[in-house]
Amino acid sequence: MIRILSRYIILFVLTLLVLAAMSFSLAYLFPGDVLTNLTGITAQNDIQRNALIKQFRLDSGYLVQFGYYLNELFAGNWGYSFISGLPLRDEIGLALPATIELASYAMLLAIVIGIPVGCYAGLRSYTPADYGINSASMVGYSFPVFWLALLFILVFSLELNIVPLSGRISLLFDIPDKTGFILLDILLADNIDRSLAFKDALQHLLLPTLAISTITTASMIRLTRRSVIDVLNRPYIAAARSRGLSRWQIFFRHILRNALLPILPLMAIQITTLITNAMIVETLFSWPGIGNWLIQAIYQRDYPALRVGMLAVASMVITLTILIDLFNRLIDPSREKYERATV
Amino acid sequence: MPQFSLYEEEHHPSPWQRTWREFRASHIAFVGLIVLGVFFFFALFAPLVAPFDPLQQNINALLIPPSWELNGTITHLFGTDALGRDVFSRIIYGCRVTFGTSVLLVIIAMGLGVTIGTVAGMMSGVRSSIVNHLLDALMAIPTLLIAIIIVAVLGTGLVNSMWAITLALTPQFIHYTRTFVRSEMKKEYILASRLDGANAWQLFSHSILPNMIEMLVVQGSVALSIAMIDVSALGFLNLGAQPPLPELGAILADGLDVAYLAPWNVALPGLSIFLIVLAINVVGDGLRSALRKRVSH
Repeated sequence: MIRILSRYIILFVLTLLVLAAMSFSLAYLFPGDVLTNLTGITAQNDIQRNALIKQFRLDSGYLVQFGYYLNELFAGNWGYSFISGLPLRDEIGLALPATIELASYAMLLAIVIGIPVGCYAGLRSYTPADYGINSASMVGYSFPVFWLALLFILVFSLELNIVPLSGRISLLFDIPDKTGFILLDILLADNIDRSLAFKDALQHLLLPTLAISTITTASMIRLTRRSVIDVLNRPYIAAARSRGLSRWQIFFRHILRNALLPILPLMAIQITTLITNAMIVETLFSWPGIGNWLIQAIYQRDYPALRVGMLAVASMVITLTILIDLFNRLIDPSREKYERATV
Repeated sequence: MPQFSLYEEEHHPSPWQRTWREFRASHIAFVGLIVLGVFFFFALFAPLVAPFDPLQQNINALLIPPSWELNGTITHLFGTDALGRDVFSRIIYGCRVTFGTSVLLVIIAMGLGVTIGTVAGMMSGVRSSIVNHLLDALMAIPTLLIAIIIVAVLGTGLVNSMWAITLALTPQFIHYTRTFVRSEMKKEYILASRLDGANAWQLFSHSILPNMIEMLVVQGSVALSIAMIDVSALGFLNLGAQPPLPELGAILADGLDVAYLAPWNVALPGLSIFLIVLAINVVGDGLRSALRKRVSH
């Protein structure tokens, strides 16, 4: 147990260190001045420039610079944006929760719909119902997310006019930022009609969440179905059946638990796709998340923002992946290395 | 006198023949293969199929609706875009760029992945473990993020976005190859060839690679559909192929400006991306279940 934990902690720290080193090297790789890329401040004169160089240890070796860079990262000085001139930490602090919120609702929806439907298809494998679900999931899995989001906008926003087009909440509601998660912020806000605001926020959430979760749900269904079919063929299911357990007992005690185990590490891979899709969908719905922010940053060549944004997103994804991996290892210690199920 | 018996002659179909037989038995998979074949034909022979030059602008024919609508003409099968370019020709050339690029990318990623994966699988101990963990970490970084960084360093363009997607695809091949090689290395037929004095290269080329091809084909189909979506997504976000180049995602992004006036400019390129990806997935799925059935029978 302690060995596993320490292994994962070492892995986690090493990966983050590699990421930090990559983000540091980006300051040199990006076009333009290293100092400006690193700080986001354009020096007005030579005196300020020399002072900044001294402060960021640019006159010493790369290792010293990197050490100072790490120090600054931990201290929370992430530099300033070229475009807005605001501290990057505040900007990311606003944008990242919005993405996490969107992605987690989509993941939740995918789990709530995908696993039961997948189980149903797996239990009724090779029947018309199974073929129907399987084909539908294949279609859902093949949608390019940007096109799906555009179709949703065309149909639901422009033609039917039942849901709003963009943003997180109507401008009529003045919600102060406390947690960064809009639904929580509404609950915490005073002086507003909470139920109205809640309804409005949910309407804004509907389309982006649906667009992202269609793809994740489809792959969830396929993974669960495959896993259930694999478990059904195992000898212990036959043994359970011959002991006279009822269908429900077999399903909950034997099939479900064993079928969910190989799905868990695959969920870690899903997170990567999910975040990519969330980032693309955000740009279409003007969702003020990290994806939208990063893509605006690349359009405007805001190098300090890209440097830190990359670090923030990559660390978030890797933290989640490693946590899921660790969790998987803890609940299933028999597994030497995690294996991946097939679709 | 022993007679030559014509009917009792045993015929053992080769593994590939059996796979093909199982594959053909599934109608959906076969239809998928035909659709994929049509798109592949479009990609290969785009200049022969396309009626117009995809870049030729025509101010006399702006935003003509597709031929099945009331105002459409048959000269422009899928209508024209805001610059009078023929949408059908653009989509045909777009298939060439998007689909062709994706195939190329998958082949490059596969070559790289198999090489590194085999080396990592044959090695053991600390080095293998480091490769293992670093790859898992790399695999977790979203493609879009890698693409954004590469575009920031090298600038926009189809080739630069290809680097990003190759970087994102390769770890999966490495992972599967490494797992496969490791499990094969423990088997007895490898031990037998090793006792016969085969070196690492001979082990790989004569014993492991022939067994690995099926896995590679299946993984290749998965990677191909991911590559298609990624190439078009980057084109759509204006980070990959740049506008004059007919790339399906870029065509879609172009059409977005006139989406309300001329919805076919958004619908048709998206539909063709969707159809190609669907066909790839259907064929990949059919292939996988054919392989599975072949083993289980």
